[in-house]
Amino acid sequence: MSGVVVALVPAPRAAPPAPVRRTARGLGERLAPYAYIAPFFVLFGIFGLFPFAFTFYVALFDWNPIGDQVFIGVDNFTRMFADPRFWNAARNTVSIWFLSTVPQLSLALVLAHVLNHARLRFALFFRMSVLVPYVTSVAATAIVFAQLFDRDYGMLNWLLGLVGVAPVDFVQSTAGSHVLIATMVTWRWFGYTTLLYLASLQAVPLAVYEAAAIDGAGPWQRFRHITIPSLRPVIIFTVVTSTIGGLQIFTEPLLIATGAPLTCGAVRQCQTLTLFLYEQGFGEFEFGYGSAVGVALFAMVVVIAAVNYLLAGRIRADR
Amino acid sequence: MTAAAPRVRGHGRVRWWTYALLAAAAVVCLFPLYWMFVVATNDTATATRMPPAVVPGGNFLHLLGLVLDTVPFVRALLNSLFVAAAIGAGQAVLCAVAGFAFAKLSFPGRNTLFLVVVLTMTVPTQLAVIPQYMIMSWLGWVDTLQALVVPGLASAFGIFWMRQHITATIDDELVQAATIDGASTWQVFWRVAFPIVRPAALVLGLFGFVTAWNDFLWPFIVLKTPERYTAQIAIKALQNSYDVDLGLAMSGSFLATAPLVVLFVLVGRRMVAGILDGAFKG
Amino acid sequence: MWSSGREFPISACPKTLEKPVTFRVPLLLVVGALALSAACTPGTGGGGGGDGRSFEFWSFAAINQKVSVDAYHGKHPDVQVKLTEVGTSTETAQALTTALAGGKVPDLVLIQGDNLPKFVQQPQNFVDLRTLGADDVKGDYLDWVMKQSIAKDGEVLGMPTDVGGMAIAYRTDLFAAAGLPTDPAAASALWPSWDAFIETGKRYKQATGKAFLDNAATSVFYQAVNQVSEKYYDDARNLVYDRNPQVRAAFDLGVKAATAGITAGQSSFETAWSAGLAQGQYAAVAAPSWMLNTIRSTAPDTKGKWAIAKIPGGAGNWGGSYLAIPKRAKNPQAAWDYIKEMQSPQGQLEHFTRVGALPSTPSVYQDDKLASSKDPFFSDAPTGKIYTDSLLGLKPFYIGPDSATIGQEFLNAITNVEQSGGDPATAWDDAVRNIKTAIGG
Repeated sequence: MSGVVVALVPAPRAAPPAPVRRTARGLGERLAPYAYIAPFFVLFGIFGLFPFAFTFYVALFDWNPIGDQVFIGVDNFTRMFADPRFWNAARNTVSIWFLSTVPQLSLALVLAHVLNHARLRFALFFRMSVLVPYVTSVAATAIVFAQLFDRDYGMLNWLLGLVGVAPVDFVQSTAGSHVLIATMVTWRWFGYTTLLYLASLQAVPLAVYEAAAIDGAGPWQRFRHITIPSLRPVIIFTVVTSTIGGLQIFTEPLLIATGAPLTCGAVRQCQTLTLFLYEQGFGEFEFGYGSAVGVALFAMVVVIAAVNYLLAGRIRADR
Repeated sequence: MTAAAPRVRGHGRVRWWTYALLAAAAVVCLFPLYWMFVVATNDTATATRMPPAVVPGGNFLHLLGLVLDTVPFVRALLNSLFVAAAIGAGQAVLCAVAGFAFAKLSFPGRNTLFLVVVLTMTVPTQLAVIPQYMIMSWLGWVDTLQALVVPGLASAFGIFWMRQHITATIDDELVQAATIDGASTWQVFWRVAFPIVRPAALVLGLFGFVTAWNDFLWPFIVLKTPERYTAQIAIKALQNSYDVDLGLAMSGSFLATAPLVVLFVLVGRRMVAGILDGAFKG
Repeated sequence: MWSSGREFPISACPKTLEKPVTFRVPLLLVVGALALSAACTPGTGGGGGGDGRSFEFWSFAAINQKVSVDAYHGKHPDVQVKLTEVGTSTETAQALTTALAGGKVPDLVLIQGDNLPKFVQQPQNFVDLRTLGADDVKGDYLDWVMKQSIAKDGEVLGMPTDVGGMAIAYRTDLFAAAGLPTDPAAASALWPSWDAFIETGKRYKQATGKAFLDNAATSVFYQAVNQVSEKYYDDARNLVYDRNPQVRAAFDLGVKAATAGITAGQSSFETAWSAGLAQGQYAAVAAPSWMLNTIRSTAPDTKGKWAIAKIPGGAGNWGGSYLAIPKRAKNPQAAWDYIKEMQSPQGQLEHFTRVGALPSTPSVYQDDKLASSKDPFFSDAPTGKIYTDSLLGLKPFYIGPDSATIGQEFLNAITNVEQSGGDPATAWDDAVRNIKTAIGG
């Protein structure tokens, strides 16, 4: 995921020439730099790279963790491509991603624009407020929102009832559950995205806005012609991170349908791909099949990263 | 636009609707936390009553007792604190050291190794939870807290970030002078470099702390007995105990969230600054 | 791996933070936290320590194993039993599987009957209880219950703790308000068959405008499908779920109840279901014997407002669990001592008097403590007689490794019709297709 960061930020500058002279150093001093960076390589090798590579291996087996492991070649993959549950999870994931990304980014754009106001009072309070959801855990968020959106006891349905709308079942219906999950994701991330946009906007010299205002540009025109263009790289960055984050949505669907958590409801109406992976791996204990789903998710990340790389390249060329 | 065109100076006057919009956003961000507190302090009947109760009640201690009866929640909070603090502090120190090595020390293979660090960020290791679980079981670490802490210490992005920071803030002359005075590289790092980049390392550690505190999927997979639960998994356990009280999971959520809110009030400014200090300036 | 979602929020290439900040407060917090947590982290997992007499026990929630454990501890004060209520029965089985696959295992674990076959297929993971003396007591238990936990080479993997027995729990006050009879015998007479039960629901709905039943999926389908002589497998252990007319009939009953407008559409054990139970949002709920404890603890304020009537349809069993000892258990003998004492006919009888779960040891069915037992929470209903009667004439069916999955998919299909607007006409075909996908058949 953080890989996409790399594609967008400027390449690291070449390190400055080594200031430390070689001569007077003993063996210990010469090895010291390796000792400083070794912990990362050891930890990443054991807990990151090896399991990642091992996923591809396990995916070729019918792997029962308390029974036998049988090599079956690509059977897990053929099964997956024919599995309606996989495609259902893929559809749900895309739908939830769309429903959460679009409002999240639009809201963040507008808020960043107004937060960038030079004379805004209480700016720190507003900036901190929008970051509060980020420090709230996904689990707590899911519990609270499930309660607010409950069919029978939720405040939202009570409010809808006041204006004559029949109660909406935000868990058992497909559309409702997607809206509920997308709302949680949006709530959690829009403030953080706002601050990312704001960071970028603050680099735009105030004089640009001033000049535009003097030339008679209203707030909308300033937003349209200054804010949005200067944010284009970071917008693409956030689209990509929210897409890859969207592929990994897990906790929200797990926690909202308490009757059937691993499928997120009776008809898998809100089961995401990562939840499907978990269900197969740690609900059904089909480690091989679950790993195949992991490989599929990886393939999607690669595709998204590639698209991102192309887009980022085009943007750099445009400049 | 109905408002009379203001006589603009600078960026113009802040209009009322700007505040209205921001206030609405603040309410949206803060209300769910407030509501959590309301339900966590009321009994089930009040929590499910329509129209809903909107003020905190006096039932908190009763629910707290139920929470503690159901899962060892104090234990869970301590576990979370331990895991998050260890990861936050560990990441800050390890990334600062490694970032320093990449920024200020010269050694064969440095650039290649740094490239490797950057490339590791492209590996979505989260999708490999099944083999990761298998490794933990080989190590005998299933259902232990080190299964969370040890893998969490490695942060490629943290190294990248600290390297950039150290490159930008510490003059080579400073390092050189210290070396000429006979300091070892460790002394240069610890006495010269680290004090300068400590604010950055601590912001890094803060984000590591928050992320670790709120993590769910991985702890959910490896933690099996209640004495090992982190606060997030304890919330899930409360949700499972379906035969008790509607406000129970909410009380747990409140307990698990309150420490972070307190932390955020104390140091949230630095986190905001950390994000605003980001890459997308020009 | 370490964060689900976006990993690190700060972007690269920072400039210096503007102000030099001292981080004394957070630093102190961190140091304090580390010290505190380290001081409080015990070396081992607590109970189940090394004395060989104490042990660790995993159970599921809401069935009150705690009273048994407390009773045992009362008789043997030197034995510490560390009871963990893992979650639902399914979650307990999942936690057990992960533990068997490479974690720390408990000494004793409760496994729900539907989850048992998958473990029986892998007997190498459990202590063969014959080595501890299971052969001596095997005959105490209902034969068809005992059979389920015997592996292919005769290994005994678990001892039965209880059987379901089935009944309907209903609210007398709500029945009275709807003009329905409140006496258990009269109420039972309302529904000799499931069709009559659904008709009663319609009467109730007409009189009150409120839901009669919590849901159709569990309270109708899951009951009816456990009153069959062959379920998802035939006696030769072949899968027949898709062509067994008895299963189809039970499914159609479920769909009929789901579309009759008589249910509250609240899935069993969900939060809203619990709240609905406490608030009387529905008047009746299927009550296998172990459900009595759930009702008691979920809705304590409704004491005395419930009564128990006969289940429509006929004899059947839903649920019932087993106690097993994982192979790597540290204290197998201590766990077996517990099984032997608490699951003996007398032990199960005492557990019945405390909790209401029906014993799996038929020798006590005639015991006065059971046969004439009355439960004050349920208007002094003769629970012992009702539940033992519900087992009379039961023809046991084979439960196979995929039974749990098949049952869940059927349940899901009915829930879909009931709560998500699924098409009742295609529900059966959908369910069968989903089952084929799930079990790979």
